[in-house]
Amino acid sequence: MPIVTIDDKTIDVAEGTTILDAAAALGIEIPTLCYLKGYEPSTSCQVCLVKDRKRNLMLPSCATRIVDDMQIDSETEEVHTMRRTSLELLFSDHVGDCLAPCFFACPAHMDIPLMLEQIGEEQVEEAIATVKRDIALPAVLGRVCTKPCEKGCRRKGADGAVAVCELKRFVADTDLTRPEPYTPPCKPDTGKKVAIVGAGPTGLSAAFYLQQEGHHCVLFEKAPLAGGRLRTDTDPDVLPPRVLDAEIQQTLRIGAELHPNCLVENLDDLDIEFDAILLACGQLTEEQSTSWGIKSTKRGIDIDKETLQTSRNRVFAAGSCLRAKSLYVRSVADGKLAAAAMNEFLLGQPITPPVSRFSSRIGALQADEAHQLAEASGHAARSLPTPGSEYSPSQAMAQADRCFSCGCISHGSCKFERIAIQYAADPTRFAGERRAVEVIHRPGGIQFEPHKCIKCELCIQIAARGGESLGLSFVGRGFDVELGVPFDHQIEQGIARTAAACVAACPTGALVFSREHQRMVKLESGNRVNKDAIQ
Amino acid sequence: MGTEISQLELDLEPVEHIVNQVGRKIDSVVPILQAIQQHYRYLPEAALRRVCELTEISPAQITGVSTFYEGFRHRPQGRHLLSVCHGTACHVNGSGMIQDAVEQALNLEPGADTDSDNRFTVVRAACFGCCTLSPVIRIDQETYGHLTAQDIPSTLGDFLQTASRPAFPWESGSDQQKGASRRNLNGDRKRDEIHIGLDSCCVAQGCGKVYGALADVLQATGADVKLKQVGCQTMCHQTPLVEIVPANGPATFYARVKPENARDLVLQHFRPRGVARRVGHWLSRQIDRWHSDEVDSPLQQHRLDMRQGSVCKFLGRQKHIATEHYGRLNGLDIDEYILSGGFQALRTCLTGKEPSAIIDDVRRSGLRGRGGAGFPTYRKWEMMSQQESPVKYIICNGDEGDPGAFMDRMLLESFPYRVIEGMIIAARAVGAHQGFLYIRAEYPAAVRQMSTALERCRKHGLLGERVMDTEFRLDLSIKQGAGAFVCGEETALIHSIEGGRGTPRVRPPYPVESGLWGKPTLINNVETYSLLPWIFRNGADAFAELGTESSRGTKVFALAGKVVRGGLIEVPMGVTVREIVEEIGGGVAPGRRFKAVQIGGPSGGCVPAELADTPVDYESLAAVGAIMGSGGMVVLDDTDCMVDIARFFLRFTQNESCGKCTFCRVGTKRLLDIMDRICTGKGRSGDLKQLEQLSGMVSAGSLCGLGKTAPNPVLSTLRHFREEYEAHLHGRCPAGKCQELIHYEISRDCIGCTLCAQHCPTDAIPFTPYQQHKIVDDKCIRCDTCRTVCPESAVIITSGESPTALSCLS
Repeated sequence: MPIVTIDDKTIDVAEGTTILDAAAALGIEIPTLCYLKGYEPSTSCQVCLVKDRKRNLMLPSCATRIVDDMQIDSETEEVHTMRRTSLELLFSDHVGDCLAPCFFACPAHMDIPLMLEQIGEEQVEEAIATVKRDIALPAVLGRVCTKPCEKGCRRKGADGAVAVCELKRFVADTDLTRPEPYTPPCKPDTGKKVAIVGAGPTGLSAAFYLQQEGHHCVLFEKAPLAGGRLRTDTDPDVLPPRVLDAEIQQTLRIGAELHPNCLVENLDDLDIEFDAILLACGQLTEEQSTSWGIKSTKRGIDIDKETLQTSRNRVFAAGSCLRAKSLYVRSVADGKLAAAAMNEFLLGQPITPPVSRFSSRIGALQADEAHQLAEASGHAARSLPTPGSEYSPSQAMAQADRCFSCGCISHGSCKFERIAIQYAADPTRFAGERRAVEVIHRPGGIQFEPHKCIKCELCIQIAARGGESLGLSFVGRGFDVELGVPFDHQIEQGIARTAAACVAACPTGALVFSREHQRMVKLESGNRVNKDAIQ
Repeated sequence: MGTEISQLELDLEPVEHIVNQVGRKIDSVVPILQAIQQHYRYLPEAALRRVCELTEISPAQITGVSTFYEGFRHRPQGRHLLSVCHGTACHVNGSGMIQDAVEQALNLEPGADTDSDNRFTVVRAACFGCCTLSPVIRIDQETYGHLTAQDIPSTLGDFLQTASRPAFPWESGSDQQKGASRRNLNGDRKRDEIHIGLDSCCVAQGCGKVYGALADVLQATGADVKLKQVGCQTMCHQTPLVEIVPANGPATFYARVKPENARDLVLQHFRPRGVARRVGHWLSRQIDRWHSDEVDSPLQQHRLDMRQGSVCKFLGRQKHIATEHYGRLNGLDIDEYILSGGFQALRTCLTGKEPSAIIDDVRRSGLRGRGGAGFPTYRKWEMMSQQESPVKYIICNGDEGDPGAFMDRMLLESFPYRVIEGMIIAARAVGAHQGFLYIRAEYPAAVRQMSTALERCRKHGLLGERVMDTEFRLDLSIKQGAGAFVCGEETALIHSIEGGRGTPRVRPPYPVESGLWGKPTLINNVETYSLLPWIFRNGADAFAELGTESSRGTKVFALAGKVVRGGLIEVPMGVTVREIVEEIGGGVAPGRRFKAVQIGGPSGGCVPAELADTPVDYESLAAVGAIMGSGGMVVLDDTDCMVDIARFFLRFTQNESCGKCTFCRVGTKRLLDIMDRICTGKGRSGDLKQLEQLSGMVSAGSLCGLGKTAPNPVLSTLRHFREEYEAHLHGRCPAGKCQELIHYEISRDCIGCTLCAQHCPTDAIPFTPYQQHKIVDDKCIRCDTCRTVCPESAVIITSGESPTALSCLS
């Protein structure tokens, strides 16, 4: 029985064992994309490379059998660099957005596609939960936001962006008109207390999220009413005070305390009473911050960008006190970030710096690509409610249906994405000319996006083994090789019997079941469960 | 619907016929596709569907295979197929301009490959192996060499005028010659002979026409002379080369003979038969004399003295083993081969030596694989002989695909029996009883020669149930490639024979353990096999005495590019690059500076002139960043841009990548992106670092040799010519090659002759007689025509606002 060393651990294995299996037996997880147990290793992705130190060779671990005296490196920087490079090369020819561009365009990173999908499904209650996961004041922002999300919307290039902001307002307003508006789930009281100086958009947002984590928040506001610059700098016709009040109320409803007319002159008192302090009071003079014992620059309070902490212990700062006034949505986003950092601090955990989310990105769409996607999405023209009026629910649905659903269906369950995050791959490192985007919807709910295919060969093998009469095959060779169906047939004909297995095996989002199909299946299985329950 | 209609229209009877002839198994797919394409001139979908109905071949298989190989067309093709060769030698001699000129002459729409009259379909070919004739195009079976952009319209016209003639007139006469040689063998009577090389590159050079003219003259004069087609004469720079071999007395050579010289040539040496003919001959000579004072001089110009310096130098350092008796044998004449010692080695191995002794001899000879990597041949054989499988296969790898290499083609065409003999010896040593010669489709003449040779071997009892009347049995047959360089990789080659896409797989297991259809399989290169007969006739020690300590014996090289005497040479290992380039090759053209030699093709690298004293052996070449490779040797001078050369090879490998593994499929593409940027003046400061890093990872991470060696041309030029890369980053191509970085200008030397203006295909030069001409840069397509037609060398190429090597002699 051959003996092998992997990362200095030794194991003897049965004749014919692959390095991948031997490593697994030693508890070393080697990533793979194109490998599926039981199928011939295609050795295409080369993400499973390991190094045989003895022979100074990089080997695909999925297909290489152990021979005696191999000395394998798996978790070394050299091997990881190879794996990362392989991922990065694959990304350079993988045309897709893990996350929709609007996700990155929105400073608060709201899950816009999900909200739109929920509106389209008449699930306004779910939609408000989606919105409020990232935006504490949606009814307010729905009126005063400058809508960076719509500038990032892919449909803008076809026939006008999706009316994201108005739809968000529709969701929030609908919620507020209900007798019992949405209340986010709050964790049990942690006994920790947070002082928030300033009840403007940043402070209110921070309080909204800290309360949900079980920390008790007290907002100190120098003005008689909360709202900060939302109240002072906005046109009451655009943002009626009743809307602002109603939305502030949602934060107070979950336990935050508001002390109006309360000017904080020094922090020492607060320091004694509270476990942490958040400065969300807008621009401070340098003098004032110095008197509070907090370092600042000309721009504003100086914070550690990774932890949002000021130079004074237990004091955090966010929003306009860091910089000149910025977008309201930026302030709301800041409040959420501060809440996250402070929560970790209060729980005694190390503060994780805000990270930019991983995503492969298509970049700008060509006009014909955008039109093709528009054809496959809701056909309504972009329309905004006339000032003073609201969308009707059916109008909102039609508008929400205009969404291209740019984010990938496989986002979150995609192996390629998961390993790329694990290896900190940079999807833009080898950017080159990209393939055309073409989303092919086929009967049976099959959605094929050839531009995302990484040529792993799994579906080809599954179709062949599954006895498909047509099957799938590679067409062409080299860089231009594509997945194809013989004789110009459609994809569902190539995988008539094996569609589910092929979709399940696809390591990325090239071959998927469409969202509608997935919903339908869920609905049917739900019905079945209900029927079973009745019987 | 469209396909159903066409299926109704298309006569599918021939498909059934083809399937009945070729077979219905999975591994019949390539020959079936080839036959279908030959019949319909492309692969109609309806025909492919029919194949799936009639055979074990699945739709997925036929789709995958028929789109993998470059030789298969899925769209109808024009009446004639015009291939522009883009091999290394052709590239450095301007194949890009030839391609442009062809497209322009045929008025091809952008993206179209067939002209509107449906006469010509234009394709790019990787390499025809006619490197010494570069640049070359091939129209159907006709090859045209030494072309310039201006020649293209007339070449097309010439082709269309003569398109009706039979393809290979000399082949029909082979039987008669066979009879002649038989008489010779029996010692009846020794005859005067005229030898002419009819290798495919000789034919391209016009030997076929000379052969025809000589045959006509011989017929007319009735001279008692045997006109004999021989194999490669190796001196490609002298072809058409005619050798007059009298029954008694020394031979006379005539170089670069033209068909119109045929009559003089025959009459100079041989008397016409019959009184009337003699009188006629005498009369015509008198009339010629009367018309001209120097009747003999035109012929004298072609006469080549074999003791002359240049010939001696060309041949001096050579040692002919694989090419033994070059230029003397008719490749297909088995009796002649036997008479010159052929199959003696085989007899020794079959009757006088045990397999283990054969392997031991190979070990003592020091023979290493000539396919490129140089793996010790005996070790492969030993591993193979240890396999305890009742079924073993032997394969001859004739998928020579390196642009710039044509040794294997020449050996297959000129010495088919030698290759076969070597294979039988190897088969006997390792216990294989079935074998295949895998020959690339771009070598039709090699396939024809080899099939005939195999047939004759079977008739002579050299193949079959009892080889040379011994217990040993062996059958050999030919498998044709279909246009995929990667099939030179042994596991890809095996997949190709099995009827799959030619993709490699991870090794181990090596083919000697599990190869063709899972059985132990020995794969050696053409040249390796063809060295064996000599080794067993002259002894392993005699072979080992040649060459160097680690690299024994000789190596055949295809010497081409910017060298005065190009050709096929066989030299003992250890001669230096300088000896090859300067002594054998006669150096570069006068006025030019020898810059580098590219050795090993797309897997190899460049040896710069400063390192020209590097001995040619496996280790020394590797040490300077090149490789022995299969033997392409392209000489480069100061007008060649090293960055462009590196990009050329990278583009080749990138195009030939099978697409299986990430590092090769995407990695080579990204490397090429960077090279394209650099060559077009869009290079960025970090590009060289990125090139080096990514090159290293593509080498380390690719699955097979193609990807592992693909970055070599880039790495070796970066190593020896980094300053040229840097110049490109600053917008300057010192050699004057990279089109986006150069400008054509006309200097004050212009006499206003208007030739350039007349020839300019895009009217970029206003017609201004007696005045200095000017080139409108926006209209100029850098076709180089003006520079080649200018009688005053007044057209100069500038780059980065200074003249380039192409416009001044160094």
